[in-house]
Formats: sequence, C-alpha cells, structure tokens
Amino acid sequence: MIASILDGIVFGLQLGLLATGLSLMYGLGGILNLAYGQMAVVSAVVTVFAIDAGLPVPVAAVVGLATGALVGLVLDLTVLRPVYAQRGEARVLLSLLVSLGVALMIDGFLNWRYPLKGLSIRIAGGPVEILGEPMLRGSLVASGITIVAMGALLAFFRFTTLGRAVRSVIEDEQGARLVGIDPRKMLRLILVLSGAIAGLVAITRSMVTPVDVTAGFGITVFALIVTVVGGLGSVAGALAAGIVLGVVNAIAATKIGTFMSLVILLVVAAGTILVRPAGLLGVEE
Amino acid sequence: MIERFGDASGTSAVGGVEGHAPRSLARLVVPVLGVGVVLSLVPLWLGDSRVMMGIAVVGLTFAAYAIGFNLIFGSTGQLFLCVGALAGIGGYGGAILADVVGLPIVVSVAAATAAASLVGGILSWVAVHRSLGVIFTGIVTLVFALTFENLLLGLGGLTGGESGFFLEAGRDTFLRRQIPPYYLMLGLVLAALVVHGQLRRSRVGWAFRALRDDEVAAELAGVDVARHRILAAVVGSAILGLAGALYAFTEGRISPTTFGFAEVDVVVLVMLAFGGIGSLLGPILGAATFTVIDELLVEVGQLRVFLYGALVIALFLGIPRGVIPTVTDHLRRRRGR
Repeated sequence: MIASILDGIVFGLQLGLLATGLSLMYGLGGILNLAYGQMAVVSAVVTVFAIDAGLPVPVAAVVGLATGALVGLVLDLTVLRPVYAQRGEARVLLSLLVSLGVALMIDGFLNWRYPLKGLSIRIAGGPVEILGEPMLRGSLVASGITIVAMGALLAFFRFTTLGRAVRSVIEDEQGARLVGIDPRKMLRLILVLSGAIAGLVAITRSMVTPVDVTAGFGITVFALIVTVVGGLGSVAGALAAGIVLGVVNAIAATKIGTFMSLVILLVVAAGTILVRPAGLLGVEE
Repeated sequence: MIERFGDASGTSAVGGVEGHAPRSLARLVVPVLGVGVVLSLVPLWLGDSRVMMGIAVVGLTFAAYAIGFNLIFGSTGQLFLCVGALAGIGGYGGAILADVVGLPIVVSVAAATAAASLVGGILSWVAVHRSLGVIFTGIVTLVFALTFENLLLGLGGLTGGESGFFLEAGRDTFLRRQIPPYYLMLGLVLAALVVHGQLRRSRVGWAFRALRDDEVAAELAGVDVARHRILAAVVGSAILGLAGALYAFTEGRISPTTFGFAEVDVVVLVMLAFGGIGSLLGPILGAATFTVIDELLVEVGQLRVFLYGALVIALFLGIPRGVIPTVTDHLRRRRGR
C-alpha cells in the first residue's frame, strides 16, 4: 500500500506538471491542444537520438527539451495562426480539430519511420529505502527534477514581470492589452513553455518507465483528465489534481487493474465537469 | 426564408452551415435513389472477392456512422466524440445479448440499438441541462468514449478483452455470406439518409438550422433548443448503435479497436469534414472517398496516418465546410450571375 502511494506520488507530480502545460494553453489562448502528448513523444525520440549519437544523457535531455519547445514554437507560427483569427468557442473547436491533425501527423510519421524507438533513461545505483519501501533511484531523481521545475514555474508566475504579464492575460485579456501587454506574444511564450514542459515530463517519465512512440495519445488523455479536474487555466489546480489523481491511479491499479483504474479517473473527470465545470480549483468564467 | 438560411455562409469556424434546405420531396428522393442505385451495383463489380466485399461493408458501416454523427454534430452542433462508443454499445450489446443471454438476433439488435439511443439521449440531456457548450460536450463525450474502451478491456471475462468477442449467433445464416451483408448495410445507409432527409424537410429541420445559426435567436423565436438537441442525439445514436450491431453480426468478431476512438471517431470526423458537415450526402461522399483512399494507401502503412493528419489540417483550415457545400455554393453562385 505504501509502495503504491509512493509510486502514485511520483506519477502524480509528473501528471501535475504535465497538466500545467495543457491548462496554460487553454486558459491563456483558448487552445485545446490534442497534440500535447505527441510533443512529449517527439522530445523523447529526439533525446534517444541524441543519446545514440554519443551525447551524455543530461545534454541529450536538454536537446530533447529544446525540441519540445521548438515544436511549440512551430505550431504557434504555422497551423495555429489561422486558429488565433477565431474567437471564443470557435477558436477552441478549431484548435482541437487542427491539433488532432497534428497529433495524427506526428504519430503516423514516428510509427512509420521509427516504430521501435522508445526512451528509457537508466539512473545508476540501487534502490533507495523510503518509509521502509525500496524506491527506484530513477523515481527519486525524476521527482526531484519535477518538483524543481514546478517550483520554478510557480516562482516564474508569481515573482517575475513576464510571468505576471502572462497571468494578467489569463485573468483579463482586455485589461492586459490596455496596459501594453501583447496577448499574442504571451501565447507564443506559453506554447514554447508547454512544449518544454511536455518534453521534461517525457524525459523524467522515462527514468521510471519507457516512453515509446505510441505513448502520445495516452499522455494527452492523462493531461486532459488532470486539467479538467484541476480546472482549465489553473496552474495550482493542475498540480494539486495531478498528485491526488496519481495516488488514486496507483492504488486502483494495484487493487483492480490498470484498465479499471483509468475508468475511475475518467469518471472523476466527467463528474467534475458536471458538478463544477470550472474544475475543483479553477477560475469561474 | 428557407433560401436565406441556405445562403447564410459560415457563421461558425467549422462546418456550421446546415446546407440548402430541400423542401420538395424530389430533392430528397432523387439523391437518395441515385446513391442507392450506384451503390447497389458495387457487388456486380467486386462481388467475386471476399476481401473487397468486406472492405465495402466497412465503408457502408462508416457511411452510416457518418450520417449519425452528422445528424448530431452537423445539424445541432453537439460535438459527440463517442461515435465509436455508441456504435460499440450496439455491437457489444447485440453480441452479448445474443450469445451470452441467448436472445434471438433481431431482439438483440433492437435492444442494443435502443440502449445506444438511450445513452446518446442521456449524454445530450446532460450536456443541454448543464449548458456544457461545444467544447465541454466534446470533452465529456470523449471521456465517455475512453471509459467505454477501458471497460471493454477491463471486463475481459464478458467482452473477450483485447482479443475480442467472437459471435456464435448468426454464424450459419445469410449474415456471414459474401454478398447479403452488403445489401443489409446499404439498406441501413439509405434508411438513415431518408430519416435525416425527412427531418431536414420538416419543421424539425427548420429548428435545427435556426439553433445552429444562432442558439439565442432560435430560443427567442420559440424553438425548443433543448428538445431538438436531444431528439437529434437520440435519432443519431440509434443509427450509430444499429450500424454497430449489424456490423458485429455480419463480421462475426468485434474488439475494442473495432469501436475505438482513434479507429472510428477520428475517421468519421475526417470523412464528414471532407464531405461537408451538415450536408445530406456529405457522409456518403466522405465515406466512399476515404474507403477508396484507405485501400490505395494500404501499402504505405503507418504513413497513411500521417497523410490523414495533414488532410485534417488542410480540410479544417482550407475548406472548413467540406466539399459538397463548397461546390454547391460555388455552382449556385455561378448560376445566379
């Protein structure tokens, strides 16, 4: 039981960070990015190539991370441009459909060209004992990196001018415009940032379990569930929901199987939308 | 008045316009009859090949899915991302009722269709009464679809899990022969077209167009938006459930991927986007085109998925209303000048 809770926390931290990216894109730009999981997978695949090319793992990870950010930038500069021309619900709908197309393109290409590629980073050293349970060293390193990234993200939004500018756009786009903040630039920043977040999650996840080229859709689904429960557009909500759902998932998975544990998460997500559409910690529109 | 609705172009970014409203019976009968005649000739051409007939049956099944989805999304703007799941309720429901419970096939199919219709109606009722809007309706139905998929996998004892469900019922009947399933499915597709066409011709169709163009204005004009949305979902889901059930009995084996989100919903969305969301014959054009394309591209394997993705983007950014409305509008404008 303690082992599954610990595993759940490790997974939950990653889920929380993952959902942050999706949540920011939606909250700031009305972009529902269904290619989010594929951004993560692209980062993972590029990291594999960098490792195969002989780069040290940390450097390869940075390359992978940069690739994720680059994918975000490319999306922002290409297919999302016509999407930004739309307003409100039409924009969300178009972004959903277009990003679904992007997801298919990336999935199709990777499965065609590199069907067997998968990223699995091994952290040297034996298991570490935590609360009497042996934990993989990889899980601990992954969690450490995730927590640092979360802290950096929260600090960025709370203490830097740029971060505050981003938040101001989420809260009041018209007001932000009046004080000279360009929402388009903030949106580009968010796409780059969420690409990097997706990449970081893929890389840290691969320290616990392999991330292969077919993982994209599953990652998007997990991110979507956590985002919905945590509240679209809420960073703190995404982080909290991630940890709670990660623990629920881990316990359910060991007690009643992986498929049924996913069913539980999905039902929680559906229930949240119906009871409180803004999410448990979301901002009411 | 009707003419004006037909010409109002693209208020929404995607699909949006319920095409021209054919009031006269001839404008419904002629296209449906035309489709019926052309498609009924296919077995003369491909009837010798079991493989080709199998593909043709899948094509017709997807045409039926696309009509059902068109009725729900195209006519009333409810983004149901659970086409595969609703068809799966029909398929698995029918299979379990016939094989496990032991009901006659006709009863099983009817009950499973009713179940799919009911579930679709409930989803729509919830969406309408919680005022979920397009996006949240999409998310809730997607969540439902994924739940259904995982339930199929999780309840392996009943559903056969990943390896699928092999149907005993109907094994030695015409349902598993080479040609009859094709005509059975064709009958369903034509019936679905007639149902959709009749709805469009009636007052209901007028209400559909009104609520698609402007929900608030429709409500003010006395259209019961909630009732019409639920009606579209109930009828559309019945078509989906029936198509899924008939497919299960003619194919003899179903698995979670038979009704999976990636395998059904994405494809139906592409077909409809191509043919024209909201147009009567869009689903037929889309399903026919993509069944052929799919066959042509079978050798490139996974690259096919890549091409689909590129096409989705090109379609939604290029001709978001689909081929049929774009072409007919163009023709009408030329004729008008």
